Amino acid sequence: MPLRVAFVGKGGAGKSTISGTFARLLARRGEPVLAIDSDPMPGLNYTLGLPVIDVAIPDDAVVEGPSGQNPRFRLRADLDATAAVEAYAPIGADGVRYLQFGNHRGQVSTQLRAQAAFRQIVNELPRDRWNLVGDLPGGTRQPMFGWGQFADTIVIVVEPTPKSISTANRLVHLREATWAPERLVAVVNRARSPDDTATVAERTGLEILASIPDDDSVAAADRVGLAPLDSGKHSPFVLAVQELVDQLTSVSGSNTATLKGVLA
Amino acid sequence: MKVAVVGKGGSGKTTTSAIVARSLARAGHAVVALDCDTNPTLGISLGVGDTETDRLVAMRQGLDSGDAPHAPSWGELIDRFGSEAPDGVRLAVVSRIDNPEPG
Repeated sequence: MPLRVAFVGKGGAGKSTISGTFARLLARRGEPVLAIDSDPMPGLNYTLGLPVIDVAIPDDAVVEGPSGQNPRFRLRADLDATAAVEAYAPIGADGVRYLQFGNHRGQVSTQLRAQAAFRQIVNELPRDRWNLVGDLPGGTRQPMFGWGQFADTIVIVVEPTPKSISTANRLVHLREATWAPERLVAVVNRARSPDDTATVAERTGLEILASIPDDDSVAAADRVGLAPLDSGKHSPFVLAVQELVDQLTSVSGSNTATLKGVLA
Repeated sequence: MKVAVVGKGGSGKTTTSAIVARSLARAGHAVVALDCDTNPTLGISLGVGDTETDRLVAMRQGLDSGDAPHAPSWGELIDRFGSEAPDGVRLAVVSRIDNPEPG
């Protein structure tokens, strides 16, 4: 089955850079990937090789139902989730589709419309076809309000610092949600030594799926607006994110592999 | 004076705020450091430690759960819910979200 992953963590922990790179490496395996940016101050586009853009779902894609309908707004009848992605999610590097919740604007009604369409697309996109990779805003607000509930796996991005670890320990409470993900795991970012990884493991109790090194080439690329994947091959950062892709796809693919083994 | 520090996640808002607050306090001013993030970590940067930062009751949650008279004064809120930080800074947290919310 395709993957459904959401990245959460403290502001600045590296969610956008990791999730965008993750989405692109996943797309290189040849499957459709939708990268979901629900940050009202979006930033995932940089890692996907897209310029600064405002591509929120337009007002005319959404209709208001009769009073009392819940939710109040829905996609136009001629638009299902797949058609909406094809119409409104631009194609970034490696063929990743980019769905944006949209910038904060003046009008609240516009935000409500874009938000309803955004959630409908994420909820209704066919599960057997699309990989979903979500980049949530930093902190606890959106995750605790269920914005990552499309995900089977929630990945907490943790730096080996007290503030980042405290944030991770609050996000661990997502396990108690009625819509808790199947797996709640961590990746360590900007690790400078094996001790950093051990510290995060010990202080959060989370399973660490990957430890991403503190890579100067990522910081240098960031200064000129380049994605890690577009600024040189096989950097330690990219290799570590590839490891995360391998980890998650091998779990997801294990049933298939077993089935193939039986059939052979 | 009243100063608000804003910017992108991870750009250094909390660290900057904490240093400004303690520097002002060292210069003899009475300083309240107000953490307005729903994921509050200002206490860690001020130096009260992560345990105290987590223990500190946010004003919103404190008022919601208590039966105290509504809307006490600003000073009263800071006294009741604040914590002592180094250099005499008074730290208070506005609201914290650390559990899944319904809907």
